[in-house]
Amino acid sequence: MAEEFSIHLKVWRQEGPDQPGKLVDYTLNNVNEHMSFLEMLDVLNEQIVAEGKEDPVEFDYDCREGICGSCNLVINGRAHGPKAMTCTCQLHMRNYSDGDTIVVEPFRAKAFPVIKDLVVDRSAFDRIVEVGGYVSIKTGSAPDANSIPIDKSVADTAFDYATCIGCGACVAACPNSSASLFTGAKLAHLNRLPQGEPERKKRTIAMVEQMEEEGFGDCSNYAECEAVCPKGISISAIAEMRRNYMKAALAGEEV
Amino acid sequence: MNLDSKVPSGPLKDKWSNHLEHINLVAPNNKRKHDIIVVGTGLAGGSAAATLAELGYNVKSFCIQDSARRAHSIAAQGGINAAKNYPNDGDSVWRLFYDTIKGGDYRSRESNTYRLAEISNEIIDQAVAQGVPFAREYGGLLANRSFGGAQVSRTFYARGQTGQQLLLGAYQAMMRQVHEGNIEMHTRHEMLDLVKVDGRARGIVTRDLVSGKIERWMADAVVLASGGYGNVFYLSTNAKNSNVTAAWRCHKRGAGFANPCYVQIHPTCIPVSGDYQSKLTLMSESLRNDGRVWVPKEKGDDRHPHDIPEDERYYYLEEKYPAFGNLVPRDVASRNAKIVCDEGMGVGPTGRAVYLDFRDAIERDGRKTISEKYGNLFEMYENITGDNPYEEPMRIFPAVHYTMGGLWVDYNLMSNVPGLFVAGEANFSDHGANRLGASALMQGLSDGYFIIPYTVGNYLADVELSDIDTKHEAFDEAADNAQGHIDKLLGVQGDKSVVDFHRELGQIMWDKVGIARSEEGLKQAIEEIKALRKEFWENVRVPGEATNYNKYLEFAGRVADFLELGELMAKDALQRDESAGCHLRVEHESDEGEALRNDEDFSYVAAWEFQGVNGELQEKLHKENLEFEFVELKQRSYK
Amino acid sequence: MASLLKALKSQVGRKILTGITGIGLIIFIITHLLGNLQLFGDAQAFNEYTYALESLGWILYVLEAGLVFAFLLHAYLGISIWWKRRKARPEGYSKYQSKGGPSHQTWASKSMIVTGIVLLVFLVFHLDTFKFGATETIMLNGHEARDLKALVINTFLNPLYAFGYTAVMILLGFHLGHGFWSAFTSLSMKHNQYSALIYTVGIIFAVLMAVGFLFIPLYIYFTGGQGALLV
Ligand SMILES: Cc1cc2nc3c(=O)[nH]c(=O)nc-3n(C[C@H](O)[C@H](O)[C@H](O)COP(=O)(O)OP(=O)(O)OC[C@H]3O[C@@H](n4cnc5c(N)ncnc54)[C@H](O)[C@@H]3O)c2cc1C
Ligand code: HEM
Ligand code: HEM
Ligand code: SF4
Ligand code: F3S
Ligand code: FES
Repeated sequence: MAEEFSIHLKVWRQEGPDQPGKLVDYTLNNVNEHMSFLEMLDVLNEQIVAEGKEDPVEFDYDCREGICGSCNLVINGRAHGPKAMTCTCQLHMRNYSDGDTIVVEPFRAKAFPVIKDLVVDRSAFDRIVEVGGYVSIKTGSAPDANSIPIDKSVADTAFDYATCIGCGACVAACPNSSASLFTGAKLAHLNRLPQGEPERKKRTIAMVEQMEEEGFGDCSNYAECEAVCPKGISISAIAEMRRNYMKAALAGEEV
Repeated sequence: MNLDSKVPSGPLKDKWSNHLEHINLVAPNNKRKHDIIVVGTGLAGGSAAATLAELGYNVKSFCIQDSARRAHSIAAQGGINAAKNYPNDGDSVWRLFYDTIKGGDYRSRESNTYRLAEISNEIIDQAVAQGVPFAREYGGLLANRSFGGAQVSRTFYARGQTGQQLLLGAYQAMMRQVHEGNIEMHTRHEMLDLVKVDGRARGIVTRDLVSGKIERWMADAVVLASGGYGNVFYLSTNAKNSNVTAAWRCHKRGAGFANPCYVQIHPTCIPVSGDYQSKLTLMSESLRNDGRVWVPKEKGDDRHPHDIPEDERYYYLEEKYPAFGNLVPRDVASRNAKIVCDEGMGVGPTGRAVYLDFRDAIERDGRKTISEKYGNLFEMYENITGDNPYEEPMRIFPAVHYTMGGLWVDYNLMSNVPGLFVAGEANFSDHGANRLGASALMQGLSDGYFIIPYTVGNYLADVELSDIDTKHEAFDEAADNAQGHIDKLLGVQGDKSVVDFHRELGQIMWDKVGIARSEEGLKQAIEEIKALRKEFWENVRVPGEATNYNKYLEFAGRVADFLELGELMAKDALQRDESAGCHLRVEHESDEGEALRNDEDFSYVAAWEFQGVNGELQEKLHKENLEFEFVELKQRSYK
Repeated sequence: MASLLKALKSQVGRKILTGITGIGLIIFIITHLLGNLQLFGDAQAFNEYTYALESLGWILYVLEAGLVFAFLLHAYLGISIWWKRRKARPEGYSKYQSKGGPSHQTWASKSMIVTGIVLLVFLVFHLDTFKFGATETIMLNGHEARDLKALVINTFLNPLYAFGYTAVMILLGFHLGHGFWSAFTSLSMKHNQYSALIYTVGIIFAVLMAVGFLFIPLYIYFTGGQGALLV
């Protein structure tokens, strides 16, 4: 069995959206290398509950296997922690050693207001999808699935972009708090498929506009988003979004 | 309790189409006037909400997560079945139906299962039209693969993320309707009670998980698509927020709970590593297409797998089931893993694991091909365990995965409470005593896109609803009830944490209501759960307040419900004195360790009626007899 | 047209404009360097070159207007992007680190605003010094012309100018180090295959520009304006 070790945590505690927050120190002595980062926080919470002096630390999660996009922590200054292509829930304590100090903060952006502690409100993403992140097809009106053959490479690339789990790490890590990678990924998925073609221009313009409305920053091509994206989505998506956007604007599509 | 299945008469093939032709319709301008609540935004709830909204109803949608897109369906990896027969390997609607009903060990309704197979093809069309990027062949057409329990390739897949891609399709369809103003979306809301007026479902009570506010919502019909209850076992492959609360509270309001003991244990999961473990991770079943399952022949052989020569390896599935080999259905694979581990041949530090080996597949197809097929699963495995499956075999063990039981529904997917419809994993559904791989996604979407939208209309067109608002006393009562439950949980202020109770319940369930069940064990389980429930209400500690975000409080409510459901599951398993599918009673095993059904006495759906809890859970058993007109009941054999 | 204008004001539009103006400025800066290198040509090559430029008349005015517009627009966009970013994250991280890998967060990219503003301030002085600086008039092939070459040489004999320029040119190099690649990406010319290539070319370009420009003041200063190249 793996040995237990100690770590020091500095965890962001914030009562509510309008209250000020601060980093609070904790020490955990029974950390095991096989624990996931969130399991480590579970253990911390059990300790806090047992002591009964304060409320447990709130943080978001659901699937705990890197697919739902719920978990969202900035760990030692990096969204989803130090490892590439990993969600917070997939980060294991074997990446840390005895005596380490770990700072845990929420995803920070004006468009992602803190709800409590490490939990933030990412509904801005839903609203970006709402304005056009879909193919407008009514249930029951679809042609046979094989009636539109799609070049495998097109389908595969569309898939690469479709893997976005909407976690928001791209926003959290972007020095500008830009949502360009998220928006770009959805657009790059739908815009390149024949099914998505008819609404390509409209979709691109609407989603880009909404992104700005939500208060996300501009993109300065830092590519930090790509580095933290647990699905490794390339910023080519952003470039593609701009291309489609300009094409749409030049074609006189209503903005 | 009235268990009229309302199955239309006529030949199997025509039941659904005839039914659709004769179903009552709501006029377009009247649809606007109807509010429909949909609880859950998984494949079932998401697709139902989107379609109902498209049809013109006012939909109010609720989910626990911060976005509809995060429902647990997102985690499904392997794929979705359909009888398209694109590979031309002889598949047909009948065959898919037959495999499904046989896979479920003849404990589901023929008519429902047939309809599921029929609708399967439309689902694929719908998803592709939405832009779901299913895997394709070089020719540009859709690719298929085979999955456990089937001899044809009928599974459509999107790498290891089929659920995610399908859910995004449904979510996007929903978001479009949100934009059009047809869906009112309420995320981070948990349903805590069902409101019945004149015996009909007329609304729900929810807790806003951010503000803690108890809120009332009225509607003309309620669609429940709140997923499965596998988390009663504490450790399962389900997402952490998956729960039975919505369904259980409906049960307490009179909805029958059917076949609660049918729980699927998935054979290929990453084994438990320690106490802190919060969930189990599934390795997709598709891995069994190329991976070979084995253990050392020698008990307690702790050599490195590379050092164990071919003739000292026991490929137990291939040996016992030559026709299906590693692709036997889940229950068979799980049970056999348990058997070899019980016999001491298990591997890994705990001895509770078997090997899933890709060595031969890599030799045959090359590392590149294997990595194209399973790359992300391999990475996931390595990330969790620290071992590289390209180099050494994976270690796997069964884990609780899916619950076939759920609220009882008729052919229209309406429960015995008029106006309460149940879709997806939350209903007792079409899978009988065991679900075949890649069929839950199919069922969820078939319920949501293609059945519920019409049957809800059928109900609404036919019914006179009284004119009420959320000030009606039934709402007062339900809201007080929900608030009372919360106050009670916070009031105990004992000194044992919610997680500890959940973990203990899980252990009882796994040991005694798990892969193999015995009369004695089940009786013990009932007593132990009762005692644990008593202790819970005396000694649980729920921190924080009810008036803001408080995940422990949410969990406490769910664990309280699991503590009742667990007992019902044990009761149901005890009552079902036969083996069927996943439900293996050790008293009813063939010499080869196969489940022995007793069709004479148990060919029924067990639907339970809640009658109260006072120390013991009071439940009354009702039976819906299953009649098989079109298939012949056979002992399942995968030899 | 209205929709196009509106589009250009959007987040993506703004970024595309930074890219266009950035590329425009890159083209200017290349020609400016080539022009400046005339200082090292024939004795009067530089003055002839500037004279030729000035004789373009209205064409030059159009070009200059375009240039001024590009500079102002570029500076405005750069500053507004930076300003917005502060609003987009009112509360910063107490600890922030780049994850590396594909990230292009470098000293250069992070200081675009600083290097940019330095360039802006520099330009004011620069124009004051050279464009509007007092020059002797000389006769060139029978017509009068400004002796800009002498002005440049005299200016850079002053160590303050020589070294000040050198410092600014280094910052220009940094600005271009991220800017070149970024502009191509802003103009959606990024494809995975070429991305790394464009980035490398960008770095080489930035170094060439910086070295090219800073060679001038340093050479003049260290040779006391008498160097062999300055016949
Ligand atoms: C790891 C894994 C892999 C799987 N792989 C496959 C596969 O390859 N193929 C296949 O066919 N099936 C697979 N399954 C099964 C399948 O994913 C599920 O059965 C199916 O997705 C369930 O869908 P659903 O819509 O019924 O419920 P869910 O997706 O579970 O959705 C439940 C919804 O209800 C909401 N909810 C729950 N309770 C409440 C409440 N009280 N108040 C408000 N909202 C509530 C939740 O927020 C959520 O939105 C897999 C399952 C798991 C766990
Ligand atoms: C006049 C003063 C200048 C200011 C204030 C300035 C400012 C900036 C800033 C802040 C950016 C980053 C934009 C972003 O974050 O997205 C930028 C980008 C850039 N700048 Fe400048 N800059 C100036 C002058 C120059 C000059 C003289 C050149 C070229 C010779 C130049 C070339 C570029 C290029 C190529 C980019 C990249 C454009 C893009 O990202 O699309 N800039 N500038
Ligand atoms: C060693 C470096 C440099 C030297 C010797 C130099 C020299 C000159 C001279 C002599 C002029 C006057 C030209 C005229 O009036 O016809 C000029 C103009 C100008 N320079 Fe520079 N320059 C240098 C670097 C730069 C840099 C780095 C920039 C930009 C960032 C720049 C931008 C300009 C501009 C915008 C003008 C005005 C051009 C016009 O109006 O035609 N220069 N420079
Ligand atoms: S693009 Fe990547 S980082 Fe951004 S939301 Fe999607 S998955 Fe998360
Ligand atoms: S990090 Fe930010 S600046 Fe653009 S490339 Fe990514 S969104
Ligand atoms: S908890 Fe689902 S991605 Fe981390």
